[in-house]
Amino acid sequence: MCPRTAVRLFVGDIAPPLLYRVFSLTLRVKDSLSRLFSRCGHVQSVDICDKPGPGEKKDKLTSKFFDHKTVKGFQVAYVVFRKPAAVQAAKALSQQGPLLISTESHPVKTGISKWIASYEASIVDPKELKAEVDAYMQDYDKKMAEEEAKAAKEEGVPDEEGWVKVTRKGRKPGLPRTEAANLRVLEKEKQKRARKELLNFYAWQHRETKREHIAQLRKKFEEDKQRIALMRAQRKFRPY
Amino acid sequence: MAGSPEAAEEAEQGPELRAGGAVRRGKRAAPTAADPQPAKLSRAELYKPPTSEELTQLKETEDLFHSSLLRLQIEELLKEVTLKETKKKKIDAFLHDINSLLGAIPETPETELTDQAWLSKDVKVPFLQVPFNVKGRFHFVPPAELKVVGSYLLGTCIRPEINVDIAVTMPREIFQDKDNLNQRYHRKRALYLSHIAQHLSKEKLFGSVKFAYMNSNHLKPILLLRPQGKDEKMVTVRLHACPDSALFKPSRFYPSKNNVRTAWFMEQSTPKEGAAEPPTPHYNNSILCDTVMLSHLHFLSNAATDFPGMKDGLALLKVWLNQRQLSKGLGSFSGFLVSMLVAYLLMKRKIVKMMSGYQVLRSTLQFLATTDLSVTGISLAKDADPSLPVLDDFHQAFEVVFVDPSGLVNLCADMTASKYHQVQFEAKRSMEILDDRMVDGFQVLLMTPKPMLRTFDHVFHLKHVSKLQGTCKKMQLLNELMDRGGNYVAAALPFVVSLLARGLSQRAQLVAHSLPQIPEWPVDAEPPKHKDVGPLTFGLLFVPEFAASTLEKGPQADHPEALEFRTFWGEKSELRRFQDGSICEAVVWEASTACQKRLIPEQIIRHLLKLHADIPESSICYTGALLESVIKTGKEAWGTGEEAMVSVVCSYDDLSRKLWNLKELPLTVTAVQGVHPALRYTDVFPPIPVKPIYSFHNRRKHLLLPSEKKPCPAYITPLKIICHMEGSGQWPQDKGAIKRIKAAFHLQLAELLRQQHQLVCRPAVTHTDVYKDGYVFRLQVAYHREPLILKEVVTPEGMLKYQDTEESRQLELETLHLPYLTSSLHGLQQQHPVFGSTSRLAKRWISAQLLNDSISEECVDLLVAFLFLHPAPFTPPSSPQVGFLRFLNLLAAFDWKNNPLIVNLNTGLTDSDCAEIKNKFVAARSRLPVMFLATPKDQWSSMWTRERPSAQILQRLVLLASESRRALEEQLMDPLSDQDVKMVFRPPLDFYDVLIHLNPNQIPRQLESVDRPVKSASRGVVKNSSAMNILFPVVDYDPVQLYLQELRDAFDDLALFFYDKHGGEVIAVLWKPLSFQPQPFKVSSMKGRKVTTLNNELVCVPNVEAILEDFEILGEGLVKSVEARIGAVFTNLMLLLRKFTTCFSMFSLNHFTVGYGTDEAGAEHVCSTPDIGIDLVHLNYKDHFSLFSVLMAEGGCMWNLLPIVAGKRFLRTPKLKTSKALNGQNRPLT
Repeated sequence: MCPRTAVRLFVGDIAPPLLYRVFSLTLRVKDSLSRLFSRCGHVQSVDICDKPGPGEKKDKLTSKFFDHKTVKGFQVAYVVFRKPAAVQAAKALSQQGPLLISTESHPVKTGISKWIASYEASIVDPKELKAEVDAYMQDYDKKMAEEEAKAAKEEGVPDEEGWVKVTRKGRKPGLPRTEAANLRVLEKEKQKRARKELLNFYAWQHRETKREHIAQLRKKFEEDKQRIALMRAQRKFRPY
Repeated sequence: MAGSPEAAEEAEQGPELRAGGAVRRGKRAAPTAADPQPAKLSRAELYKPPTSEELTQLKETEDLFHSSLLRLQIEELLKEVTLKETKKKKIDAFLHDINSLLGAIPETPETELTDQAWLSKDVKVPFLQVPFNVKGRFHFVPPAELKVVGSYLLGTCIRPEINVDIAVTMPREIFQDKDNLNQRYHRKRALYLSHIAQHLSKEKLFGSVKFAYMNSNHLKPILLLRPQGKDEKMVTVRLHACPDSALFKPSRFYPSKNNVRTAWFMEQSTPKEGAAEPPTPHYNNSILCDTVMLSHLHFLSNAATDFPGMKDGLALLKVWLNQRQLSKGLGSFSGFLVSMLVAYLLMKRKIVKMMSGYQVLRSTLQFLATTDLSVTGISLAKDADPSLPVLDDFHQAFEVVFVDPSGLVNLCADMTASKYHQVQFEAKRSMEILDDRMVDGFQVLLMTPKPMLRTFDHVFHLKHVSKLQGTCKKMQLLNELMDRGGNYVAAALPFVVSLLARGLSQRAQLVAHSLPQIPEWPVDAEPPKHKDVGPLTFGLLFVPEFAASTLEKGPQADHPEALEFRTFWGEKSELRRFQDGSICEAVVWEASTACQKRLIPEQIIRHLLKLHADIPESSICYTGALLESVIKTGKEAWGTGEEAMVSVVCSYDDLSRKLWNLKELPLTVTAVQGVHPALRYTDVFPPIPVKPIYSFHNRRKHLLLPSEKKPCPAYITPLKIICHMEGSGQWPQDKGAIKRIKAAFHLQLAELLRQQHQLVCRPAVTHTDVYKDGYVFRLQVAYHREPLILKEVVTPEGMLKYQDTEESRQLELETLHLPYLTSSLHGLQQQHPVFGSTSRLAKRWISAQLLNDSISEECVDLLVAFLFLHPAPFTPPSSPQVGFLRFLNLLAAFDWKNNPLIVNLNTGLTDSDCAEIKNKFVAARSRLPVMFLATPKDQWSSMWTRERPSAQILQRLVLLASESRRALEEQLMDPLSDQDVKMVFRPPLDFYDVLIHLNPNQIPRQLESVDRPVKSASRGVVKNSSAMNILFPVVDYDPVQLYLQELRDAFDDLALFFYDKHGGEVIAVLWKPLSFQPQPFKVSSMKGRKVTTLNNELVCVPNVEAILEDFEILGEGLVKSVEARIGAVFTNLMLLLRKFTTCFSMFSLNHFTVGYGTDEAGAEHVCSTPDIGIDLVHLNYKDHFSLFSVLMAEGGCMWNLLPIVAGKRFLRTPKLKTSKALNGQNRPLT
């Protein structure tokens, strides 16, 4: 018998009762696991996730085509038994050597055959996809229509404290509440202020610009000197 | 000038300013104190009143130099190349010693010139005495005068080669009448030097005494003396023997005079009656040169007095010439020549003594760039003596004319016109660079070497220069041969070069040649022959528009020039009728593909050299396109893929037109943009139109699938295209809904393309595949607001903010930046037709080095684009090979740590933008990617190198690039070797820990490998582009890539995987050293590890044998074998053993390395990888052989043993196969 895809079993007295590392294979792994552990007791469910942790219930996958999150690499499987005694039995398994997920009667596909299968699976049926998209969009449109109706109803109606919410839809649309719009306003203000300032009015302003010019030259000179020092340290001046 | 009154004013206002400044400074003091950068000038220092000295310096910098940085750089360079004072003292002492030695050499009795028996056997006359017989008598008399001449006295000699020239004046009495004739002067000179050599070679003072030819001119031997001991490299003293300046009558040596008699040269007894003797200008010049040595020194020292800038300028010019390989060899533009040129410019007042070194450099380059000395010569002679020859006489005799102050000597006598044009070209290019503010002129002009291979688009070698003898015969160059003293290389070279230049006049802007160089030789060896110059190298710089044209159109058949054209091209020339009705002579070269067209110059060169110069094809080694074989697809006839690329782009253009005009689409298509590399001409192997063979595949209804039993089908790349849809209020503003709408568009596009254009389409959620003309295009719909919607975040105050998320960044990259890059590079390809091929070679090299997944394709494209957009100091490459060499050089030589690489696509950046990028880069260096690329649309984020390459990969890339460049250039410059250029495309594998060998049948791109397999499996496709209404082929199915993905997903934190995606047969694995450190036990970090105990603590270490087994299981059907090697793990183990034991030995078992050793107390230890860090197990085995017999017994399976010599490097590479039989139960050493 050819050993295939061994499940490396780790059993410890830590939070998750059983920890298996299996490869990212198809859903068939789930069946194999429950078959493997059925010898310890009745298996209620097998849950595969990408890392060990408190089992948060995943929300049901609503779509066959969208929001797929395939778990890659090593995975952790939680096997939930119906009776606690089965856990003890499972712990004892580790002494018996590796458990094999893939057997001749129930092979788990790896390598070429797996890739061919997943290539086949990647090809979608246009009709099915269309049906799903249409259904989703109908729902979405309905939801949007409802929201819009609600918004239209609240338009211009003061709340309990007397405030009226200004929206972009109303008669007097306000500024959009976005960061970009805020920045734009600030920038405009700044420009307005800058325009009003006189630059060459006082004598000291004139002197100041000259001083500034020399200071700039010095600063640049100093920076250049530092750069040269760095380059010299790297022996950048050996021509050959 | 405007600055100076202002400066004075400033100085006057100084004290007042200070007072005013102090008041204001008081207010500002607080922020200054908090300034965290101590290296910067403090505020007080910045604003202190300037001293007048400082002002002049700042001003001078502005006036005399480009910028203060350039000034500082030049000062540093000068420090590096000028001779130190301490060395000077040593040299002076050495010269003093030589002086006293030379005076003490005894006289010899007078003998016939041909009787050289008086010379000892240890010294051979440094002169090729052909023909041997000559009249005249010689005897040695100690020198009349010794004088140091040349650059040492002027202080213009530069390191690393310090030469001191000494003119040894031979006394008058050794000369006779008519010594000017028939090399008699030259032979006396050589004998004089050999007698000196005979005496000096015995002296202990010298480290070496050797002969050399002055500037490789074999008529002019010199004696080289070097000091003893560690100073040997410090200086070379060159002794030149020269006559008294008044010895010969100058009129005998005018360029039109003859001094070598034909009868003597041909060894005929009686001269032919009535035949006029030909002029021997080069011969005459070689004697004249010696007579004016001292006067040249005076002339130059006059020029150099009170002119500090001249010394600096000459040093810079010499560095400039050296970097361009122009300053050494026969006919070089030597340092002396450039000194004379500067003196000429000073005389003509183009240079004044006020100028700085930088300005001297600039003015000299400016003069060179604008003056063609091969047409309008120049002269240093001041007062026109009517008896002296005029410039026209010189032009008659020499190709390049620059007459010295005496009005007799042509300083450029040996230079070919082609060499001067090269100098001129370089000067022009350098002036452009100096005026361009975007480039660091200092770096590219003075610090970047320009070897021929990287400078010229095509380079070829004349393997055996002795074939030039035949050329001399064929071209009837007897007179030239006589003039050059029998040097057939020097005689034929100008003619060969001008022949080539004429033949390539339309195609090449420059035809250059290497300078013949003869190395120095010991005094007891025979002088080198003419053929010892080695292979001659020629370089061609193309005019990109015309280099590849197949037609050479000549004059009309009835014109008189037609005959000339016909004789020049020989039988290749034929009469042709052109479209405009004219009937002309024309030559048509055969070439169908772009790669053949690029080699038309080769055809021309081979044809012309054979026809006119009698040089057989076997003597020409053309290295212009040796590398291109690695990007050739399949059969020879398909060329290097340019044609395939064009056909892809045509098909794409057609598709995009169809998409724009698609009817019944609810929203119109606003733009169609390609993003696949093939659509910017940089796909290494462009797709070839194919049609699937049905029987080769598994069929499910209308679906073709790869079959497990057959080899993997050919890889068909989906050519990705982004299809932008019109913006409209109908688009939903919710990311989930947008995805659905996009999917709906994909469905609809597929349907409409099928209905309206009969194209086979296959829609999917994220794209639609379209099968058209044998290509598969992958359409992806994009909505311009989607990235914005993905970025939306609402703050608690209800403000809408935009924040980059991973998803939005990815989408922007795909739909915004990549299309832009693709179209920019597509444009670049239109300007530079070899951009694509260069980039493909570069990518091929990177993937051959197994690094294609470690650096993004776009990054490589940009690096190559840089070579074309910023070629300085070169010109943009016009052949893929030179582009590739420069790519390797860029990778290896660019300072990635301290500089951003700015790729100014579409010249979208101004020079202030560049400065800003540089400054910001320095400030934020530690946070930026290791390789930082800035483009106009991506100035700050370097998006194509953000994740890849990592620092380690970049380091390795740099190392590989510099090694590859070195190896490749060595191969290409050596025409006598076998030139296996593919060498640099074969990766070194000995550095990896595990090799996974793959089954070639399952590698769909097997044919793309560097060494193409002789036999390969059928791939289930036929070449076809007209297929309609057929089943969709298998697209984007590459088992190796799928396998790599799985490996990386699973073992990312333990190992790195390297693979050549173009048909590599091996996946190389490198363990990450850090992951082999034992880690404390944690449930979440148990991936690929096992638990073991260390010092009674639970730790986990990588479970290597299980991982190796997993490699095989994951790749079932694809993996042939897994080979574990001793690598990094081995070294760790050895270090560990060394710590514990005094003597040890190591063995390799299946996936283990086992070490065994004894410590000082005699106790024995054994440990094994991968269990590094585990307590050494103490075992009581007598020796390691018994140890292994036990291990073998325990393991119960066959071990593969490999003894390794203790402490030394292992000599054999272990070839170990993993055994599938090994499983967890009988693990030996835990």
